[in-house]
Amino acid sequence: MLQHWRGQAENARTEKYSYQVRGREITGANYRESLAGLKIPKLGLPSFHDWGSLLRFLLQENLPGYYPFTAGLFPYRRAGEDPTRMFAGEGTPERTNRRFHLLAAGQPTARLSTAFDSVTLYGDDPHKRPDIYGKVGNAGVSIASLDDMKKLYSGFDLCAPTTSVSMTINGPAPMILAFFMNTAIDQQVEKHLRENNQWDAAEKKIKELLADTPPPLYTGDLPAGNGGLGLALLGVTGDQLVDAATYARIREQTLQVVRGTVQADILKEDQAQNTCIFSTEFALRMMGDIQQFFVDHKVRNFYSVSISGYHIAEAGANPISQLAFTLSNGFTIVEYYLARGMQIDEFAGNLSFFFSNGMDPEYAVIGRVARRIWARAMRERYGANERSQKLKYHIQTSGRSLHAQEIQFNDIRTTLQALYAIYDNCNSLHTNAYDEAITTPTEESVRRAVAIQLIINRELGLNFCENTLHGSFIIEELTDIVEEAVYAEFERISDRGGVLGAMDTMYQRGKIQAESMLYEQGKHDGSLPIIGVNTFLDPSSKTQTEVEAELARSSTAEKDAQVLAVEGFRKAHAEHSEELLKGLVITARDRGNTFASLIEVAKHCSLGQISNALYAVGGEYRRNM
Amino acid sequence: MTQTVSSAISAQVQTDNIPLRFVTAASLFDGHDAAINIMRRLIQAQGAEVIHLGHNRSVDEVVSAAIQEDADAIAVSSYQGGHNEYFRYMVDSLRERGASHIQIFAGGGGTITPAEIRDLEAYGVNRIYHPHDGLQLGLVEMIEDLIARAQQQRQATQVPDQVELTDSSSIAAMISALENDVFGEAELQLKRREWAGVNSPAPVIGITGTGGAGKSSVTDELLNRFQQYFPQKRIAVLAVDPTRRRTGGALLGDRIRMNSLRHSDIYMRSMATRRQHRATSLILRDAIDFLKAVGFDLVIVETAGIGQSDSEIVDLVDFPMYVMTSDFGAASQLEKIDMLDFAKLVVLNKYDRRGAEDALRDVRKQWQRNNLAFDLPAEEVPVYPTIASQFNDPGISWMFANLCRLLQGSLDLPAADWTPEIDTRVKEPRATVLIPASRQRYLADIVDSGRGVKQSIERQAEAAAQAQNMYLALEAVADTDLPAMLGLYKPELISETSERSLKVLRERYNQAVHELEP
Repeated sequence: MLQHWRGQAENARTEKYSYQVRGREITGANYRESLAGLKIPKLGLPSFHDWGSLLRFLLQENLPGYYPFTAGLFPYRRAGEDPTRMFAGEGTPERTNRRFHLLAAGQPTARLSTAFDSVTLYGDDPHKRPDIYGKVGNAGVSIASLDDMKKLYSGFDLCAPTTSVSMTINGPAPMILAFFMNTAIDQQVEKHLRENNQWDAAEKKIKELLADTPPPLYTGDLPAGNGGLGLALLGVTGDQLVDAATYARIREQTLQVVRGTVQADILKEDQAQNTCIFSTEFALRMMGDIQQFFVDHKVRNFYSVSISGYHIAEAGANPISQLAFTLSNGFTIVEYYLARGMQIDEFAGNLSFFFSNGMDPEYAVIGRVARRIWARAMRERYGANERSQKLKYHIQTSGRSLHAQEIQFNDIRTTLQALYAIYDNCNSLHTNAYDEAITTPTEESVRRAVAIQLIINRELGLNFCENTLHGSFIIEELTDIVEEAVYAEFERISDRGGVLGAMDTMYQRGKIQAESMLYEQGKHDGSLPIIGVNTFLDPSSKTQTEVEAELARSSTAEKDAQVLAVEGFRKAHAEHSEELLKGLVITARDRGNTFASLIEVAKHCSLGQISNALYAVGGEYRRNM
Repeated sequence: MTQTVSSAISAQVQTDNIPLRFVTAASLFDGHDAAINIMRRLIQAQGAEVIHLGHNRSVDEVVSAAIQEDADAIAVSSYQGGHNEYFRYMVDSLRERGASHIQIFAGGGGTITPAEIRDLEAYGVNRIYHPHDGLQLGLVEMIEDLIARAQQQRQATQVPDQVELTDSSSIAAMISALENDVFGEAELQLKRREWAGVNSPAPVIGITGTGGAGKSSVTDELLNRFQQYFPQKRIAVLAVDPTRRRTGGALLGDRIRMNSLRHSDIYMRSMATRRQHRATSLILRDAIDFLKAVGFDLVIVETAGIGQSDSEIVDLVDFPMYVMTSDFGAASQLEKIDMLDFAKLVVLNKYDRRGAEDALRDVRKQWQRNNLAFDLPAEEVPVYPTIASQFNDPGISWMFANLCRLLQGSLDLPAADWTPEIDTRVKEPRATVLIPASRQRYLADIVDSGRGVKQSIERQAEAAAQAQNMYLALEAVADTDLPAMLGLYKPELISETSERSLKVLRERYNQAVHELEP
């Protein structure tokens, strides 16, 4: 290592750099020039002459892109791309689709993050019953069938390398993912038909297939940017339009290139967030089925799970617990998949992570610690290859750290948290809008939130450098302290029989609650200073909380549309659905791959139909106290 | 002002002496349970009995629970939107089912706007609390206000004119009448005679066990099997939890676990022990006799296994069951468990725990000793291993089949009515092992290896520093055989060197370089 160092260091001081990733050469400049005309290096280098210090640096830290990846996964940041996601989810699929196109207009890439309404999050269909009806399309988009999904992402080529989709869903993740994969496949079938002059024949066939039912339609005008891709096959599926061999080929090709992430993290749901619908054991089995399907069909560019600490932190956990619980959940998934017979390098690349960044000091090093622990465990314990050693994570700034009082101060908090995240080389970042504490963000507040990232990335000079944290005594020490604290928490969980054993006695849940109480107490008695909330109060405003917020709600027309759409879907597919659901139940009972079955079932069954069928074999979630 | 209100309430509660009953929950498709958990604790602390349903509860589930439990009020949190529809529907449902006296309280942080609050309160919700209320009043005072309002609207316990099997309101009212001592002694005697006259053959199963053994999961799984294999049988469940002596309140926490209540007409009632244990037993006996007489085909009584009074239940039921885990310590501890004398069936739950097989053997032996049944083959001893947390556990199914068999035998029930057509080819729980036992220590292993790497890095860093020091010294003395940086001296250059200090320097240098990992 020591011998290679000199070469490594020299490469960082040439005019340009170049290296290989999966056979592709990546090049770029090693410097960025300031207005003053100075060449600011992208990589700060240690000036150690002492071999001991240098070796310690190389083994504990190393330059970005080198094991143990403490400073980052890649030698350089991706040029010309801000790690900004486009967040949307409201009302009908059409409304969210319009919003996606608005956000993506003029951007080189479409990174679409999707929030679903709570009816969908709990695996049910829209319905007239008032307690269901009222929640349709609120705080997220309503998706109950393959047709809904096709409308949602219409006009985005889901197989284009510039499109990636993230779906925040857990309990019913397998079903939603099956809708998504079918959407992507059918888009490619549509393209195939058009490119091979088979469209007219196909159109005739579609008319025949839909002869008895009113054809489902995209309601309203297509937004600018939506060329209609994905809408031609509403109501039908690709396998009805092309021969079996062609369909199989298109399907496999699609699966191999489609990009995105589905959250699907059932462990943190049981520990913190409560959108579980099936018994935990069955839910985990379905996660494993998804991953096995990904291995079997070489799904390489899609993350089968986003192992999430965000919700653990939002529920009140401190950064140590967030990190320790999340990483231990990750290792649990690894152990489970290994026990099912998958090889580590077959699946580790499909795992991703998601953390919250709050104000606490530990957040300065959360990515560094996570990467180092993961890489070492992967290499030392699991014998994994370099790709598997790389822990990729998304950061969202902490929603919990935003306050209703002095709401303008929230952007300052978000900025500082974003700075933590960017200096720590997170792989993607979402910055919260300042008004999220009281309402659904507006276009104005979202724009400001995006500006936070852009200003840091494009204006802030120190950020020309891509390893700013290197060489700081406190950062190094903090990394060691946090790493050791995480290990200590691992030991406590291990003493309780591992993650699943600890969940049995609600260890994680109890700890999160206790830490939440501590925070609230500190906020209440002022020992945890929060500017404008418990100190530095605005003398001019008497009633600080009298902010009357206008809340975004889905309209009656939108709710009715969704209720009608899913009723229509169920009716139109009635002749197929019963048989398919029976097959799914048998597959689940015989411990076959439920996801392979879901891919077929999703063509003709609604979300609620599938959930209900699976309750009978997987059991409903049993609540705890 | 709040102060006068609150002191007025506490006086009233004392004279009244009957705790208010609340059903608490979070709204449908809503997982935000932190707030309602804090609120329900505060409500309990005010001396109320709280039946907590947890998150994601439909209006029908909450209203049915409130009616079956004869609750005075419902408290629901809603953070996920749709509150206008949800609470209006709840008001309507209560009215339709003749239960408008049940008060509705709600909260939803900033998600329910003041204008919406006004509208919903005008529609029939008693009170919706906004964060302003919490800030202005303080949390405890806010709950005191809620208690005062519930108290004010409370309906006096009344004996129902007519009790019908299909009318859970009337059943609930009768149990409350018994619980709240509404009947005079003579009247009660009359009732008791009336119930005895019905001569119901309905069996009464008692389920008790240690805390954390999984009693309510076992009960829920049994209900699931009864429903599945005897859909025509009407079942009533009584679940008893202890009253907290200090506050007089109670958390009645069994209902939250019962998934089988969701799609069925099972009647369930949660009861608190309310101070005097003896009285509780008496009321419990009356409640059981009443439920039998009113027409239920099966009554299940679940009691908390706290303290030494577990075995009290034995006198009240026909068929006592005991739920335990392998977590009892040495086998001799089993001799102290009274219930192993009385239980006609023992469930050894959480059979996936380590040491469970030994425990099964020990418990079976103890049961044989207690029942002087030494000749009984081990597998016929009515001790059954289960994993109730696992859906459709074959251990539970096998236990259920045997429960039906033993019930018939000991109560002389008609076999045709009590024999389930259930697949019992598998007789033991089939633990779905997600992570094999040999790898259970995965986290500790990761820690060990992580810390090991760190130590080795420190050793290597020291070695590197040492190598450099030696190398610089050798350079300084102008060693003519000096290798390239980090290269090694050939062994003969060390063994054949006559100059002592040069030899030591070369030797130490080589040693240090060797310690570095390639």
